[in-house]
Amino acid sequence: MNKLYYVCKYTPVELLTALGADCANLNGMPQGFDRADQIAHPNLCGFGKAVLEQVMAGEVKELVLVNCCDTIRSVYDILADSGKLDFLYLMDMLRSDGTCSRERTVEQLRDLAAAYGVYRGAAFDIQAFRRAFQPVERGMEPYISVLGARMGKQLYDMVSKAMPYPVENDTCVHNRSVGEAPPPEDGDFDSLMDWYAGELLRQLPCMRMMDNTGRKQLYRHPNLKGIIYHTVKFCDFYSFEYMQVKQEAAVPLLKIESDYTLQSSGQLLTRLDAFAERIGSHWQEGMEKKMGKGYFAGIDSGSTSTDVVILDRDGRIVTGVILPTGAGAAAGAERALEEALSHAGLKREDIDAMVTTGYGRTAIDQGDKSITEITCHARGAYYLDPAVRTVIDIGGQDSKVIRLDENGGVVNFVMNDKCAAGTGRFLEMMARTMETSLDQMSHMGLKYHEDITISSMCTVFAESEVVSLIAQNKAPDDIVHGLNKAVASKTAALVKRVGGEERYMMTGGVSKNESLVKTLEEKLGAALVVDENAQLCGALGAALFAMDMVDRS
Amino acid sequence: MPIVDTFGQFVEKWCDTAPQRARWLLKTGWEAQNLKFRFLPDRRLIPADRYLARLMMDTMLRPLQHPEQCAIISVFTPCELLQEAGLSPYNAEAFSCYLSASRAERGLLQQAENAGVSETLCSYHKTFLGAAQKGLLPKPRCIVYTSLMCDANLLTFRTLAQMYGVPLFAIDVPLRQTEDNVKYVAGQLRELAAFLEEVTGRKIDAQSLRTRVGVSRRTLEKFQRFQRLRAGRYIPEDLVSPLYCGMTNNILLGTPQEEKYVDMLLRDVQSAPPKRGKHIYWMHTIPFWSGAVNDALSFSEKAQIVGCELSQACPPDFDPEEPYEAMAHRLVYHFLNGSVNRRIEAGIRHAKEAGADGVVWFDHWGCKHTMGAAQLAKKQFEAQGLPLLILDGDGCDRSHGGEGQTATRLGAFLEMLDQAGGTRDE
Repeated sequence: MNKLYYVCKYTPVELLTALGADCANLNGMPQGFDRADQIAHPNLCGFGKAVLEQVMAGEVKELVLVNCCDTIRSVYDILADSGKLDFLYLMDMLRSDGTCSRERTVEQLRDLAAAYGVYRGAAFDIQAFRRAFQPVERGMEPYISVLGARMGKQLYDMVSKAMPYPVENDTCVHNRSVGEAPPPEDGDFDSLMDWYAGELLRQLPCMRMMDNTGRKQLYRHPNLKGIIYHTVKFCDFYSFEYMQVKQEAAVPLLKIESDYTLQSSGQLLTRLDAFAERIGSHWQEGMEKKMGKGYFAGIDSGSTSTDVVILDRDGRIVTGVILPTGAGAAAGAERALEEALSHAGLKREDIDAMVTTGYGRTAIDQGDKSITEITCHARGAYYLDPAVRTVIDIGGQDSKVIRLDENGGVVNFVMNDKCAAGTGRFLEMMARTMETSLDQMSHMGLKYHEDITISSMCTVFAESEVVSLIAQNKAPDDIVHGLNKAVASKTAALVKRVGGEERYMMTGGVSKNESLVKTLEEKLGAALVVDENAQLCGALGAALFAMDMVDRS
Repeated sequence: MPIVDTFGQFVEKWCDTAPQRARWLLKTGWEAQNLKFRFLPDRRLIPADRYLARLMMDTMLRPLQHPEQCAIISVFTPCELLQEAGLSPYNAEAFSCYLSASRAERGLLQQAENAGVSETLCSYHKTFLGAAQKGLLPKPRCIVYTSLMCDANLLTFRTLAQMYGVPLFAIDVPLRQTEDNVKYVAGQLRELAAFLEEVTGRKIDAQSLRTRVGVSRRTLEKFQRFQRLRAGRYIPEDLVSPLYCGMTNNILLGTPQEEKYVDMLLRDVQSAPPKRGKHIYWMHTIPFWSGAVNDALSFSEKAQIVGCELSQACPPDFDPEEPYEAMAHRLVYHFLNGSVNRRIEAGIRHAKEAGADGVVWFDHWGCKHTMGAAQLAKKQFEAQGLPLLILDGDGCDRSHGGEGQTATRLGAFLEMLDQAGGTRDE
């Protein structure tokens, strides 16, 4: 028998069950959207495309949708035209929970029951209806809540695995609460539907409801230890709630965005791990190692370069090397470590403990432990200058802003989205378009004449803007200044999001770009500390954590 | 540097340090522009469209001059009740257009994104939110919106009401076209009347409301007549006039000024020369700022826009004697409500009425409803003999432009229509 799939918590699952349906929540994350992109615009939200993809792949034959949002309404229109489903229905749920809405909802329930009853050739089974109500059990232990837009199953599994506490999925359809009270003992179909409409509307309101003040309870639970706030690209509802949660929640908060595919999982995993490091202390309980020669190493395996720092027993930097990562993280790390050891005149066995960080951290077998580059950057920056409260790190693949407390611990952090805008890669591509090198570019733009604004932050669009500026014979200094302003404005937005405050330190490869640093300082209205070891900051933090692992008493 | 760029830069700059001063500059700049419309209008436009530019600017200035007499509204809010309560429209979408035309939108969009609003939200809403957050926009008397067509309404207006601390009224419009749903909406409109009476302390007169809804019906009827008459005529158009009409036919519907505009249209069309070039019907908003679209369609004898979907509300078949049911009917049976097939069928009908040779379906960034329906629309319009170009862009935010692509797509589409030969005379 086909399953009947639904996507919204206002779907009358119990009624459909009483009509013989085998109901399931449609929540898979497809590999890609090849089929969906053929029949719909790529800028629909990822979940809408995931629904289209699964239907077009023939995985779904019965589907009940609700007019949740503009995307789902469009999905309904497209699917109705496709003729791929045996049963397709769109419920017209109203957006208020008043008496009138209840009456209109009863009408909807009757209409759906009639349509599905005819399709299946089944009648309403009152006993099956009663059995379908199952109270929702919830534990009493400390937990982490995933809030916001619906989260696909695979991503939820990844989140659960990364967190130090149990994770509750309180997103969208997953906080359905119908069934807390059983249906009344007596009554006919009509009176039951009247009660049922009330139960559906009485749930914790979703963001599409006109009055959704009740949602505050989601982030005010006494056992809540942290919030992972999830948004889906091209779904706008939840960014509004996030604005509020950000101001009102009393527990640590991490915002992540997905497009309903697992393609960006690498970057999401870094954020999840860093968040877990922030709310739990399990990661600090390292293996207690014995002191040997008294040298400690940190390896930061980034997308562009692999950096190694070796410290001595007094925490002084013995050596620091920066090498291109090359094709593989593990081989790059091996090479950089050998180089650092030879530089310092040491052997591998002289290193008492080693911590790896950066994107490639888990691919490297050599380390004793791996810690995210966010925690490591904070530690490294604090070592270089204890007065620093905000670290701005612009690397090749991503940019991040980290807020520190007075002890060098991470208070908050943000990272850019997975696109290249505002990263070292963006500048690299623009340098290529301008037929210059990154090094030369870092000195250009210091003396500009015309204040050009590059409006596109999308790397592809910005590239065509630069091409047309070149065609207009604009001076290279003016164009570079325009590009620097674009990156500075994107970075300043991240600083604002994290609540950045002085003193600022800039780390990562882009900190060497003199003209960009100057533009960013102007945008922030504050000076940026650029330490001579700025590029080694992540590796330095990792080496300091390695030092913690050794009993030096 | 063009003066408008400098103007926009100062508005943006002062927003950060002295929002009151930025608001004063905005008002002064717009008043100066209005004087230009009055004394040095663009003579290439027909008299009706010259009048429309002034009418629209007057409407935009009122919230800056007397915000306490204005209600922030979404574009499809039925405004007859507000007019009866003595409130002027302070329309979010139109304001964002004007802020963008004043070259002040960049910092406002950035402000909203910094506050946490997603970058994929419709830029009309995002610009307005950013401007409100920066203190550029004054506090209104109240806020009224409908859920019709656009999810962003549900989010933006709630946020604004919290921010300004003003009363909020939401009109929930169900999807299906049934008489029960008309009753449901009419009930809400009666509540809206009571809400406005309380907010303004002014009683809404039943007879006066009937008369006003009668004006609305007549205006839509006359506009429909004009659109049919223009099919065989050449009317020089820029990009903003069809867009202004899309706004005023909603937010000023029921006013004598809007009726005067359609009367002028009917007069001007009589003396318009025969059709020249291609007629293009435009679905959804128009990127008035785009140089590429301007080059192709503004004051061109080769091709002109002959109507914008947004200026059509619903068939003028409602009964003014039952004004609440009539306004509710307009919302429930609005061409943009319900299944997208209604929208497409109406688009085909209106395009044919205006003698269109081709149609542009403008996928405004952030409008999921429009983007979602693009492929279906292409199939259905073309099955009815109307070539359709799906054009991606943004009505308000220049950074979503891609001017080169727009020029190529639109240029190729017009060449294709030329090659198809002949023009379509209905």
